[in-house]
Amino acid sequence: METRIRLLLLSIAIAACSGCASMHWPWHHPQSDATASASAGTDDSDASPPSVIEPQVERRTIKVPKIRPKDFEIGGYYGELSIQDFGAQPVAGARLDYHISEDLFVEATYGRAKGGKTSFELLSGNVQLLSDAERRFTYYNLSLGYNFLPGEVFIGRNLAMTSALYMIGGIGNVKFAGDQNFAINFGAGYRVLPTDWLALHIDVQDLVFKSNDIGVYQLKNNLQATIGATVFF
Amino acid sequence: MLALWSLSLVATPARAAHELLQLFVTEPYLELHTGPGRGYPVAQVVARGESVDVLFRRTDWFKVRTERGVEGWASAREMKLTTMADGAPFVVGLGDRAQFAHHRWEGGIFAGDYAGATLVAAYSALSITDNLKIELGLSQYTGNVSDGYTTEIGLAHVFMPEWRFSPLVDIGTGYVWVQPKATLAKPVDRSDELGYAGVGARYYLTRRFFVRADYRQYVVFTRTNANEVNEEWRLGFAFFY
Repeated sequence: METRIRLLLLSIAIAACSGCASMHWPWHHPQSDATASASAGTDDSDASPPSVIEPQVERRTIKVPKIRPKDFEIGGYYGELSIQDFGAQPVAGARLDYHISEDLFVEATYGRAKGGKTSFELLSGNVQLLSDAERRFTYYNLSLGYNFLPGEVFIGRNLAMTSALYMIGGIGNVKFAGDQNFAINFGAGYRVLPTDWLALHIDVQDLVFKSNDIGVYQLKNNLQATIGATVFF
Repeated sequence: MLALWSLSLVATPARAAHELLQLFVTEPYLELHTGPGRGYPVAQVVARGESVDVLFRRTDWFKVRTERGVEGWASAREMKLTTMADGAPFVVGLGDRAQFAHHRWEGGIFAGDYAGATLVAAYSALSITDNLKIELGLSQYTGNVSDGYTTEIGLAHVFMPEWRFSPLVDIGTGYVWVQPKATLAKPVDRSDELGYAGVGARYYLTRRFFVRADYRQYVVFTRTNANEVNEEWRLGFAFFY
């Protein structure tokens, strides 16, 4: 009797195990099952492998748009430069500014003018102190500016433009009378922006350098007043 | 007519191709000023949950456009509290000590002395790491005996970039163009290669600004038998971004 019960239990266990394959156990891999059935059914040409659904998800690459900085200003200016002893002459130049903060900016300028005749040359007739090439006055400045009075300008009821009164000072070089001279510059300017990208300038600066172009070393003050326009980029 | 209409349909997405960054206000409100400065009056506010499109940036101010099409200037300090469309915080460099230690570009202007001549110099540097920088320099000197220009390229190593006062060493090479001054015979301008090694220090001031001082020794590889050794010191104002 006992042996019969054992035999019955054993046969139930074997039957249960053979049924294991058809059950979906959580650790059972469906892929291996599919390949197993595919390899088993090679002799049967009609049997197609069970299709496995592959998710076709196209991942979107999200590109965060960049913010364009517009801290640089480039442009030109034109005005009058009073070259000490050589008269007031037209001057033209180019400028590049970089705005570091709302208060401070750095500026590089390059300008050219041509010195006129000294009073001595005018009075004494045919005397030439400098050659034509030597009369060329070229300079560059590397300056630091400070917007000390920022504000707004109103034209009529509908137009408001941001503006700033700034102080500027720096170092540079002046080439005049065939000689290079270390120079300092300082002055003030006014900037008004009719649009976000355009600025109009009025500047007054003094270019100071030491020179011996007339035989003795003396400090030369060269006042310059210009108007200009720049674009922000 | 139909063709024109279809053209305008095509043209619309093309115009919108230049995408603007959209940011969402998470604070109670975002203030919009009339100009890019702390003193300009607040003309508009954007409420929490609303968004703005960033048109461009000028220094620490952003020109933005609201959903209703109103434009104004928002400060970087306030923009830092907005989020992007996916909820991630908007990250913006404000120019502080952390950025002083970790930035990509820097530039500056120097005045100083090169072998007894007055020196004006400008430099720009690109950071490879926080410690190591590639430097490009241009300088002009004006002296009693000669004037000249130099161009240099070199490497600078900053010790402790996170310190407010950080020392550095640099080494590099370049060219010098010398224009001797003469009264009797006109000597010929010459150009020579040069090498330099120097020590320096930088000191963080505020925002994006620091001062920098350098002492360098230049060796000018002249065409004569003896090389020329020149000393240079310079002090300058620099900024990073």
